[in-house]
Amino acid sequence: MLADARKAAEVFHATLRDAAQEAAKDEPPGDRLWFFRDARWRCLEASEKGLQAEDVGLEEKEISASASSQIEKLAPHQLAIWISAAPEPQRTILALFYLDEFNLKELLSISELKPPELAKLLSEGRQQFQAWLNVTVPAVEI
Amino acid sequence: MRGVSLSRRQRVLIQSAPISDERVDDHAMRAALHRARKTEEFAAQRNFDRAIAALVRAIPIPADISEFVPSETLISPRRPRWKKQARHPAFLATAIAVAVIAAVSILQVVERVNRFPGEATARRLLTTASSTHSMMLDPIKTDAGALGDFFFMKHRLAHYDVPQEFADLRTLGCRVFDDEEGQRVAQVWVVEKHMQFFLFPAERDVKTGKARNFSGWRYLDQEGWTGVVKEQNGVCFMAALRGAEKDLAPYISKSKQ
Repeated sequence: MLADARKAAEVFHATLRDAAQEAAKDEPPGDRLWFFRDARWRCLEASEKGLQAEDVGLEEKEISASASSQIEKLAPHQLAIWISAAPEPQRTILALFYLDEFNLKELLSISELKPPELAKLLSEGRQQFQAWLNVTVPAVEI
Repeated sequence: MRGVSLSRRQRVLIQSAPISDERVDDHAMRAALHRARKTEEFAAQRNFDRAIAALVRAIPIPADISEFVPSETLISPRRPRWKKQARHPAFLATAIAVAVIAAVSILQVVERVNRFPGEATARRLLTTASSTHSMMLDPIKTDAGALGDFFFMKHRLAHYDVPQEFADLRTLGCRVFDDEEGQRVAQVWVVEKHMQFFLFPAERDVKTGKARNFSGWRYLDQEGWTGVVKEQNGVCFMAALRGAEKDLAPYISKSKQ
């Protein structure tokens, strides 16, 4: 979400501190999703201070059969930077979806989106990432 | 998805299908995945998603973060799963059906417990009671308890005695008639509450011919009329009136005291 390990750690600790304070008041968070919702809003708040991603209509390409080999060539921080540069709410969706921790209902609950919106954002995200991949790690290099 | 026809909703589901199959816990999603699984487009999407997820898993998590993963004590306890399952429509429908079957069974058991030999005749006589006028009976003004001798002397009906609970009530008239089964029935009209008494032969065992006994008083009601029946010496006595069980209960409880 932030592509900055230090900021991410701050968000993590702030969320945890909040949960501990609520638990001390005998009102612990209702479920584990609370942590992700809280962290998401903290991330959005933190990223508001920096440069904002613009919705510029990125090029889209169909997912290629060689996409997985192209992705294997990437370093994790490249992916983190690409996702953190995506506009909201696509950034949240991509970050949560690729954590591979949630079912669809949970994703919709955290992102507060409707199923068609979520599907569109994911589908566009894949195709935009593929277009970026084709430029960054061209298939011919593999 | 080329070559496979998917509804708009199924396309939406496929586009947001979780990366791991273990995250698929929805019937609609499972059905959509089943249809799309053989398409090249979906295979490409799956491979793409899995490759990115593998890259995400490769992101190193700092030690101070992994040490502080929220413990269960920070999350309120989950509601028992059975409560969630109990709200499932299929479970609810089954539970309602079982409840209805149980209620019907209990009603039948209660009805069977309350049933007694001669009940059918008693019900028929309640219908007779509702259509009888006092002028149809021979006028006799005496205590109901004295009619036993009268029935024996005049109609040769042995043991057609009014029980002591109702013996003190004053009569207006009586008659003896054959019911539709050819049984001799004595009918008495009393002053109090326009009550009527019926005396009729107790139901008999088909094989042995013996009267089928039952103990105590048994209530029955039908179309606004209530009767209370007792068997004694092979003869059933029924006191009937237009009203409810509570109108007859005082006479019965008085005898217990």
